[in-house]
Amino acid sequence: MSNYIPTIGVEVHVELKTKTKIFSNSINGYGEMANSLTNVIDLGYPGTLPTLNEEVINLGIKAAAILNCKIRRVMHFDRKNYFYPDISKNYQITQNDTPIGYDGYVEITKSTGEKKKVYIEEMHIEEDTCKSAHRGTKTLLDFNRAGVPLIEIVTKPCMSDGEDVKLYLEKLRELLSFGDISDCKIEEGSMRADVNVSIRKNESDPLGTKAEIKNIGSISNAKLGVEKEIERQTKIYEAGETFKPQTRRFDDKLNDTVLMRVKETGNDYRYFPEPDIPYVILTDEMIEDAVNSIPMLPDERRERYIALGVSEINTNKIVANRSLSDYFNTLLDEKINHQVASNLLLGDISGYLNKNEKTIYDTTLSKERFIELVNLVSDNTLTSKNLKDILDIVLESDKSIQTIMSEQGIENITDDSEIRNIVKGIINNNPESVNDYKAGHDRAIKYLMGQVMKETKGKANPKMAMDILVEELN
Amino acid sequence: MEEALTKEEVLHVADLARISLTEEEISKYQVELKKLLNDVEKINEVKGYDDDILIACWNNNAELRKDEEGTMLDPKEVVNNAPRHSGNYIEVPVVISEGEGA
Repeated sequence: MSNYIPTIGVEVHVELKTKTKIFSNSINGYGEMANSLTNVIDLGYPGTLPTLNEEVINLGIKAAAILNCKIRRVMHFDRKNYFYPDISKNYQITQNDTPIGYDGYVEITKSTGEKKKVYIEEMHIEEDTCKSAHRGTKTLLDFNRAGVPLIEIVTKPCMSDGEDVKLYLEKLRELLSFGDISDCKIEEGSMRADVNVSIRKNESDPLGTKAEIKNIGSISNAKLGVEKEIERQTKIYEAGETFKPQTRRFDDKLNDTVLMRVKETGNDYRYFPEPDIPYVILTDEMIEDAVNSIPMLPDERRERYIALGVSEINTNKIVANRSLSDYFNTLLDEKINHQVASNLLLGDISGYLNKNEKTIYDTTLSKERFIELVNLVSDNTLTSKNLKDILDIVLESDKSIQTIMSEQGIENITDDSEIRNIVKGIINNNPESVNDYKAGHDRAIKYLMGQVMKETKGKANPKMAMDILVEELN
Repeated sequence: MEEALTKEEVLHVADLARISLTEEEISKYQVELKKLLNDVEKINEVKGYDDDILIACWNNNAELRKDEEGTMLDPKEVVNNAPRHSGNYIEVPVVISEGEGA
């Protein structure tokens, strides 16, 4: 175990879920033919001017609110100047001086149960660069990504191990995807994390030399990368050596970080305000509208489900599936058995959805029909075996569940006197079992119940039959 | 005021701009760039509000665009307008190590 204290900060870029790019009306898309989603603005042609997409500002406000940030009311953009083929106009439009959000936090829960706040220094809006692929002495450029709106979220150096980083990234991904801010697909590059790691001997020492880890392809690699980097820096200091600030990348074949370059010191980006975009002034109305349209976030969903009597396991499973959770949310104010509803959604219905690669919204199961289904299952009018038999029809037709049941010959005897007559007959014909029951043998009642179901060809409402049987035996 | 930048300062700026300079050009820019900086310094003499950066000469709110798709370029047209291309990609020489940039 290391005797050093690690200090870790994380910078995350997420691509915003807009229809079009930040400064042009080309489509914001992924996986299309190279250079097919561009226009002269994205390509940085001389004489073009950026026009800011209002949805970017809207999503920026929402993201800031979700991350508990203060929201800046008057902001501008800045040019970050550098010469590299990924930015053809030789500057990236970003927010250096006036980030839209600042001083925020997200809360994580460590494996020990301890809750910890990860503080957000600032979050700003900027444009993505084009995608470059290196092939020997050539670099190939695809400008489809150029101008895709991003927010960059920068934490304070407040994390202390790989677990913190993993939990923070998971939480961020959950919040931003539920907030409809971003897809947060790390494998498609719509969420990208850079992690800064340094270590020092004592709390009172100044922060140690920093290494930045880029190119992290998954959240588990972020954790592993941090752990490997702490190990590497510890070895260097233990050997009495030092190292220069540097950028490293995570190599998933080596499962370790490797050096990319030693960083230049000082700020060579020569930021200055972007004169082509005037001030952006947020009104109360813009902020209110944005904040009011934030969908219910995961923590609130979990709280509400648990309060309705849904088990913790079911709650977590539903929240993990966005469309099921949105569907379940429409039922929160209904007087139904929510645990039964959750069992149905996670059981046979999920089985059907997975098999057919559908979401609940691709089925015919309207809210009203689902409520009918939940009630029929709750009072045992529809048994789980019978549900399995009619599930496809339930999910593919518009008929009421009762209609489907009668069309499929699933009758349910719910008439008290009819069931009572049958029960009485069974009791009279099985005196031995009745005696066994009275002598305290539990299996006897199961046998008698089986006889009732046999006699009614499985059509007696099981709950009613059991209640009547117990009544008559006593 | 200083009359010239150091040679190192000029070389650093040239490096950021990815251009190479002859000794003669370096001497020339040591003086010229300094003169430019001195001229720009004069802006600091203008009285302004400390907490307000003036980025536009009017205080209008930026015109925001609706998030609606417009016309895009034909990829063939895009790549044919570049000096070199490979398939649908624009081709450039490898400049520096991977991952440089924003």
